[in-house]
Parts: sequence; structure tokens; C-alpha cells
Amino acid sequence: MSASKASRLGEETRIEKVNAELVVLTYGTIVAQICKDFEKDYSQVNKQLDKMGYNIGLRLIEDYLAKSNTMRRCSNFRETAEMIAKVGFKIFLNVTPTITNWTSDSKQFSLVFDENPLADFVELPDDGRAQDELWFSNILCGVLRGALEMVQMQVETHFISDVLRGNDTTEMRVTLVRYIDDELPPEDD
Amino acid sequence: MVIYSFYIFDRHTECIYSKTWLPPPSVPGATPQQQYDAPMISTTGAAVNSASDPHQHSNPNALRSGRSAVSAANKASDDAKLIFGTVFSLRNMVRKLGGEDDAFISYRTAQYKLHYYETASNLRFVMLTDTGTLSMRNVMHQIYINLWCEYVVKNPLSPVEHKGGAGVRNELFELGLNQFITGLIGRTGSQ
Repeated sequence: MSASKASRLGEETRIEKVNAELVVLTYGTIVAQICKDFEKDYSQVNKQLDKMGYNIGLRLIEDYLAKSNTMRRCSNFRETAEMIAKVGFKIFLNVTPTITNWTSDSKQFSLVFDENPLADFVELPDDGRAQDELWFSNILCGVLRGALEMVQMQVETHFISDVLRGNDTTEMRVTLVRYIDDELPPEDD
Repeated sequence: MVIYSFYIFDRHTECIYSKTWLPPPSVPGATPQQQYDAPMISTTGAAVNSASDPHQHSNPNALRSGRSAVSAANKASDDAKLIFGTVFSLRNMVRKLGGEDDAFISYRTAQYKLHYYETASNLRFVMLTDTGTLSMRNVMHQIYINLWCEYVVKNPLSPVEHKGGAGVRNELFELGLNQFITGLIGRTGSQ
């Protein structure tokens, strides 16, 4: 599917909206609570956020397929990236991250977020570690991983920079590990 | 239009939902009227009606009556497995011959027509109807969007994996499916 068609698909999909601030505050509260629960062990917090996202992704993919009216699979990983950025993120977060930094084998790309609705109003705690260890929006990594797994793509996702940490951009790296084969019906004895 | 039965298979190839609207013609020792929901039949201009409907004799269950010794429950699960095996092979064959983007849509026998619809998340929908029914692909797509996603996926208490059909048979889904199918048959029946 051409790039312009993908973005049109994202635009055309009309869905009910919720108040952005409600989402931001809810998400912020969750992250804050997890930080408290894990006593500021930020690598654990990242892991928990990723896990939550993964479970969301497993379900969200069905909603994505329904809302985007996708009737067929993407033919390659580049098309998948296109659909993630221009349809998926558009539908659910109303942002369109930029796809860049493809590796030459077309198995790795970056999503650069010009705006990140999850991070409005957010300042990372000033405890000397959060700025280096916490990936505040890590839930998004999990969502992508879960959602893509359901459409038979095993991927690895992680943030490599975040404006909240003082970086220039917010960038997520997505790597295709493999395509998952169809499960076969059990042999009849 | 007559709809005989409807099945949903998950990506682990398990049958997680099945519904039969038409009772098999005569299974000895069984009480079909109690086991099955009201039959969903409409012939042109006729009201929904079961026992006296002429279509009943041409329903696909007649094909299987040879195995009447098997208990009803076992039979139903065997049928589901057979159906899955069939559509799975057909789908793979179709892809082999027609390319990765080709999709298996339906097949027809002298007695019935089987409709197939598969989502990108490898959820498979199968519907058995009479031979004259037009493509039900769109109908199954609607079931996926409006019923599956709304009532099964978005139900926070339903599990992600539906082992043994867990979480699928909820009231809203059942009700919605029945209403949808009834509405469908009512529309075509009154034309």
C-alpha cells in the first residue's frame, strides 16, 4: 500500500475521542504508582510498563483491525511500519510518528515522536536516576510488541531517546525478529 | 436463505465458538428440539418456520448421519475439527496456487455452502448455509467488528486466549449474534 493511502486511511477512520488530559493523568498516575510499588527500581518499572502494554496490545490489535478495516496483511515490514505510524498511532493516539533510520535489510526502523500525548505535563523525578533509567512511555513498546505478535510478527522494541530525559527527540527502535508461522492443527491419532 | 451453523476458530486452531441453528434430521436417542436453538430459516416470503420446512431434508447434517453411534457432543467437536482441517488445507492450497494474497472464500456442495473469513490476527470464521446464499464474507466481517471486538475483546474480564471457548459465550455476544442473524434472515426473507 502506498504511503499516501496509508495516511488517508488513518485520517478517514473516525472514532470517538476521549479527553486527552484524562488519558495523560491516568497514565501518569499509573507510572507514579508503579514507581512507588517497585521502590524506584526503574528497570523493573520499565519492565512492568512493557508488560502492561503487551497485554493491551494483544487486544488492541483486534480493535485496530476492525477500525482500520484491514482486510489483508502487509506484504513487507516497510508497509507494516507505515501502517503502524500512519494508521495505528493516528487512530489511538492521534499522532503520526516519523519513520526513519531503516537498516539496509529492512528489519529495523525508528519511530520518532514529534509529540507524545502520554508525556504532556510530565517531569521526571529529580532523584538522579530517573533521568537515566526510566522510560516513561515504555508502555508503547509493549503495545507494539503485543499487537504485532498477534499478526504473526515477533519484534523487539525499546526506546533509545526521550525528550523527558533531555534528549532532542523521542525515538523508539523496532526490530523484526521473525515472522511467526501458522499454528497447525494437532495430528489426529 | 438458511443458515445452518457458525464456527469461530482461534489462532491455536481450537474451536472456541460454535452454534448450530438447524437440528440434525433424526439422531436416535437425542432430543434435538431441546438441544438446539430455534432454527433460522426463511424461504422467500415465508415466516421463520422449522419442522415443516422443506429445506430441512437437504441440510448437511444428513451427510453425517452414518455416524449416529457417536454421542452428540463428540460429534459436534469432531465436526468442528473436520471443518477446521478442511478450511485450513483449502486456505493453504489456495495460497500456494494463487499467491500469498489470495484468500479462500467459500466452497459449495450439492447440499450446502461453506463460507470462510479470516482476520489478520488469524481468527477464522466459518458459516454453513444453503447453496443459494450469496457471499457471507461481509456478514462475518461485521460479526468480527461489531460483536467479537465489542463484546469479547473489549470485555475486560474475558481472557485474551479463549482456551476451551472461555470468555466467548457471554450473554451480550450470544444475544448480539442471534439478533444479527435473525435480522439478516428477516431482511432477505421479506424481499
